[in-house]
Amino acid sequence: MASSAGKKRPMVRVSRTDSSSNLTDKDSKKPKMDSGDRQGEPASLTSEEEEAAQRDPARDVNLYKTACDGIRQLLQEIQEIRGSGRKDAAAEIAERKIQASMHFITLKKLNRLAHMRCKKARDTTHEHKQKVDSYHLQLQNLLYEVMHLQKEITKCLEFKSKDEEIELVEEAEFYKEAPEEISKPDVTQQDPHQLTLARLDWELEQRKRLAAKCKDYEDQKEEISQEIQTRRDQLDSLLPRLNTVLESTKPLQEALKMPFDEVRQQHRMAQFLPRPLYVLYVQSSAYQQACDPALTVTIEGDLDAAKSSGPSTSAALDVDSDSDDEEGTKEKSRRRRTISVDPTDRRGKVLHKHPLQVNITIKCKDGSTLALTFHYLLTLQVVTVIVQLQPVAEAITSAVSGGDLLSPSSLLGCLFPGDHGNTTPNPANQFLLERARIEDFNECVKEVGKPYVWAQQLAGLQFLNTEEVGLHDIVIIITLRVIWSTERGSVPVTRECQHLFPTKILSRLVSWKSITHDDYIVLPYCQPVVESGMVHDTDNFYVAVLQRGSATLTAAMLLSPGYLTCPPLFSLNLNMGTDHTASNDENIRAMEHEVNVHYKELLVKGSHDQLLTNQLQRLLMCLDVYLETQSNSSATEGPSEFGREKLCPRVVRGPSRCKPFVFNSQHGFFTQR
Amino acid sequence: MADNFETEMLTQRRQLYTTVFSQSFSPCGRFVAVCDNFGRITIFSLAASLSADAKEDSRKPVFTFQAHNGPVYTLSSTERFLISAGTGDIKAWSWADILKKSPKVQWSLSHPFNHSFDNPETNSIVITKDGTLCSGCGDNNVYLWDLQTGTCTNTLKGHTDYIHALTLRGNDQQVVSAGEDGSVRIWDLRDSREAAHILEPYKHDVCARPDQGRWIGCVAVDSGDYLLVCGGGPSLSLWHLRSMTPVVAFPTPNSCQNVVMFHEDQIMSAGSSPCVNHWSINGELRSQVPCTPPCLYSLAINTNSASYKVLSAAGSSSKVDIFTNFGYKAFSMLVC
Repeated sequence: MASSAGKKRPMVRVSRTDSSSNLTDKDSKKPKMDSGDRQGEPASLTSEEEEAAQRDPARDVNLYKTACDGIRQLLQEIQEIRGSGRKDAAAEIAERKIQASMHFITLKKLNRLAHMRCKKARDTTHEHKQKVDSYHLQLQNLLYEVMHLQKEITKCLEFKSKDEEIELVEEAEFYKEAPEEISKPDVTQQDPHQLTLARLDWELEQRKRLAAKCKDYEDQKEEISQEIQTRRDQLDSLLPRLNTVLESTKPLQEALKMPFDEVRQQHRMAQFLPRPLYVLYVQSSAYQQACDPALTVTIEGDLDAAKSSGPSTSAALDVDSDSDDEEGTKEKSRRRRTISVDPTDRRGKVLHKHPLQVNITIKCKDGSTLALTFHYLLTLQVVTVIVQLQPVAEAITSAVSGGDLLSPSSLLGCLFPGDHGNTTPNPANQFLLERARIEDFNECVKEVGKPYVWAQQLAGLQFLNTEEVGLHDIVIIITLRVIWSTERGSVPVTRECQHLFPTKILSRLVSWKSITHDDYIVLPYCQPVVESGMVHDTDNFYVAVLQRGSATLTAAMLLSPGYLTCPPLFSLNLNMGTDHTASNDENIRAMEHEVNVHYKELLVKGSHDQLLTNQLQRLLMCLDVYLETQSNSSATEGPSEFGREKLCPRVVRGPSRCKPFVFNSQHGFFTQR
Repeated sequence: MADNFETEMLTQRRQLYTTVFSQSFSPCGRFVAVCDNFGRITIFSLAASLSADAKEDSRKPVFTFQAHNGPVYTLSSTERFLISAGTGDIKAWSWADILKKSPKVQWSLSHPFNHSFDNPETNSIVITKDGTLCSGCGDNNVYLWDLQTGTCTNTLKGHTDYIHALTLRGNDQQVVSAGEDGSVRIWDLRDSREAAHILEPYKHDVCARPDQGRWIGCVAVDSGDYLLVCGGGPSLSLWHLRSMTPVVAFPTPNSCQNVVMFHEDQIMSAGSSPCVNHWSINGELRSQVPCTPPCLYSLAINTNSASYKVLSAAGSSSKVDIFTNFGYKAFSMLVC
């Protein structure tokens, strides 16, 4: 074919291109290009790429070779023609040249096509390379994933379950002991997992049984300890019973004793009294015989010690009656005195009392008795008084508000203006006291009693700045006070105060007693008052117990001697299983607030006479309200101990959830302040 | 002489039974006002008592005046006014007048109560940003007041016992009320016919304490508006507001909480035990700071002035405790 193409070059093209009809075009280029186009479409530069794709490269190579051969042949022919030197050589050469250039055009075209193919090949390569890259990446990902999964698998394999820590019973033992429904041998023999589960079940079962057993034992223990407790209680209750048996034998013992010849004894003792007490004794005896049979005067004390204390301090009237047979006892007592009385410190020496004392007992109309014990302090040379009051039984319960005045420590206080009995009336004592490091005589009052000025007067002791007081006046004043307090102190509130309270109050006052300053200041519920500095040791302190059902309200009271201007101050402690005080129960604080701050509402015509009684009545009322509203406000089910009897529109009010402690007497209901 | 003695004695006794119910800081943050059960409002100067050379005297009240006839239960401050309520009307006092020691009632709001024999108290007031005052009262209702006109615009009825506490939530669009009846009700201020939500802590085992009663004494909502904390008879509990369920109960054995607040990431509460409890949100007790009053009714943090940022705690005592560091009491100021 190549040779044929070489022979008739234009024909070659035409023959190669099937659609030769297009060759009619003048432009030589076009037909060539068209000749390349088998479809015979009009060729354009842009479509050359398509063309390059469609054409067979092998054929193009042949075409290329043919073209080269053609050119070579034409050149050879040109050379031959030139060599022949023919006439028409120039024309032939020109024609050959044209044919050669045609071939060049073909070459050029082929070159272009070759370039395009090369580019295309490069693109394809690039494309494939990218594809390969992405596949590689994917591969990497997958590898990573595989690695991760492997790690997870290892982790899972390494996972330790909790049950592995539990010590299970041996397998053999398990099969032996566990019941069939737990061990399930048919399943578990093959499946180790089921086996473990079954063993765990068995473990649980066993533990449950042990726990139940433990509980049983604990119950038993409880039971036994309860039994022990009841037996212990039984034993404890035995002692009081034995005591009562002992008590009941006492009257018999007393009945067997012989009565004393008291008067003779008294007179003999009087001889050994120190002078001031002797004067007192003589004076009061005389007064008793002359004016007041309700008064009794006795001498008490250690006669032997008095005898031994020598004539220097004794009345030394006549000690001749000392007979020989008393010598023995005298010796004995002297020894005793050195042991018991000789003070090891100065304080004891300074406060040393004469062994004998004078007791004066005043009987009141209602049966109460007042006992005054007069002591003589040898060193200080003053007479001191200790007071004791024994009210009759009914007076204890009735003399509620008067009780403050019946207090032993204050009853005789201020009988005369300024006579508190807290300081020694003998100015000469100051030095002695200082030497004994007693800065305030008040400290010793408990040991020796109070050195009231009137007592010195009665005993004939004269100090500066004192007034003349007769025994008669003193007795009258004391008696008046006692009568005043017992009559006013009745529980029922006086008529003019009735309107302050509701008619029905269910709480009851069950006890009333006096306590000391020291007792008061350690009461936990009195601490706020103590810390506020309102407590003085000259004040009187009482504890009243109010009760309703199982609830007990303890009220500690502080009564200042100046009670006419300073009303009693209450501190409360409510016990209902637990202690409620002002510091843990706001409503107790509110109750204290009611009686301590709003006391003026309880005054009748501005008089303090009924104040304490009214305050107590107010407390009873508040306790009722507290208990009745308590059961209501708590959400506990079932009937409560304290039924609601008071009418109150609001059970609690305000942020403090205060109970209605204020009684509206006009409408008869309770409200909050 | 005797009169003097009596006044002195009464002052001393009053001091023993003083209960401070609420506190409010002045807009300048230099003063704090406290109100008590005797109807008095007492002003203390924080600036003086916190200064480096503070003596005992500088911690005494700057000024005291009788504001109401009975106990004052709640105080609140706006830019100009100190608003007090408790017994009788809601009264507004100008801070400027108070600091000049000549307080006058600037305006007052009188509740439309219809009880003839009982004069209901106002236990809590809150003021929204757009000038609505909400007051929670003893007649079981919450009243809404327009401060521009001074009229009562609405009444939120639904509680079956008196209102203990109020708080605002949701950008002041809603008010939360806690009542003696044991329910916490959330009301929409725009549509106030009935409560939008009702929480009843006493019905949930996590916080119910039947022996202490049902009442809810305090309520607070956190700034993110998704947690609510309330307590009282039932123990203090944290509620998730979207689901309206209790999340955590804070254990306060034998103590009923009267006041609670969110502060930063923790909750502070106090009640019938002499300490301020600091809780983390998950129910853990972070610390328990002892203080003077045996029972606390008010906790307040002064956010009005950065230099006097203190926590003050008050309750059933005449002493108001100031905490500069929230971890321990710095000093007490005495109401007298």
